[in-house]
Amino acid sequence: MEPAAAKLIAAGIAIGLGAIGSGIGEGLIAGRALEAMGRNPEQSDKLLTNMIVAMAIDESTAIYSLVVALIILFAF
Amino acid sequence: MSSLADLKLAPDVLFNVGPVPVTNTMTSAFAVSILLIIFALFVRRNAGIVPSRLQVFVELGIDLFMSKLVMILGSEKEARKYFPLIFTFFIFILVANQFTLIPFVQTIVTEEGLTFFKTPTAHYSLPIALALIAFFAWNFIPFIMAPFRFLGNFIKLGVFTRIRSIKDVPMALLDFMLGIMDIISEGARLISLPTRLFGNLVAGELIIAIISGLFFYTQFFVPIPMIILSILSGLVQAFVFALLTLLFLSTNVRNVKNHN
Repeated sequence: MEPAAAKLIAAGIAIGLGAIGSGIGEGLIAGRALEAMGRNPEQSDKLLTNMIVAMAIDESTAIYSLVVALIILFAF
Repeated sequence: MSSLADLKLAPDVLFNVGPVPVTNTMTSAFAVSILLIIFALFVRRNAGIVPSRLQVFVELGIDLFMSKLVMILGSEKEARKYFPLIFTFFIFILVANQFTLIPFVQTIVTEEGLTFFKTPTAHYSLPIALALIAFFAWNFIPFIMAPFRFLGNFIKLGVFTRIRSIKDVPMALLDFMLGIMDIISEGARLISLPTRLFGNLVAGELIIAIISGLFFYTQFFVPIPMIILSILSGLVQAFVFALLTLLFLSTNVRNVKNHN
């Protein structure tokens, strides 16, 4: 295989597989937070803040794989 | 038509000041700082007992953030102490993320055809610098408050003094190892905090660049939803950076204060 082709495939696999887990996680976080907001609407301000922070932490694994993919594409 | 090979992460070097190369992300970071300083001085000069519209807007933003700080830190006094640092992070990253959206900013070019301004947070150096400041804040403030207690949270020699019988030894060793693990997690925080900001911003920029570079007719209306998405993620990331710094700071300070 040509190195350039291998690079593209590797970058695609890195970001594609890396995004699965964090996608599932973010869906769970948003779903549970919305459920809680529906049950307890006066708490929704507090919940929204916590939800965004939790989502950002959860997202970081996807961001790591994005950075790895970018390094594969641009730095090698 | 630009292709994937034309995209790059490194900023363009505009000119050199001595041995220091000045890049276009640096110029825009400076421009953002100067803009914010001028804005703050302007608001401060015109501030009065009867507030103007602008002053009401600024005070609303400050109050909103202050209430978050009070909620997390627990008291107004504590919140006032850490408010300048956290709010500066928030407002600087907020403006820096959206800086290139100001009309005509990206059309300023130098003689070599390089753009003079580029989103400063889309280069790794600025998020790392900000995260280092935050890292020193959340480690140094509790360290000054109580040096031995703070170090004791990481190197838990105290657990060995509580050993009464041979049965307690494994638990003490486990506690000690957990303390060592906390040092590693501090390092992971230092890596993940800037990577999150950088990754989000650079992903937004790259998606817009790739979509507008696909075909001739995708340059006009197709990138607009992506631009809206990247504006949103820029807002959220500014908030998250400030809030995570605050959370790490408040947990470390609380650990030092409530040590038994």
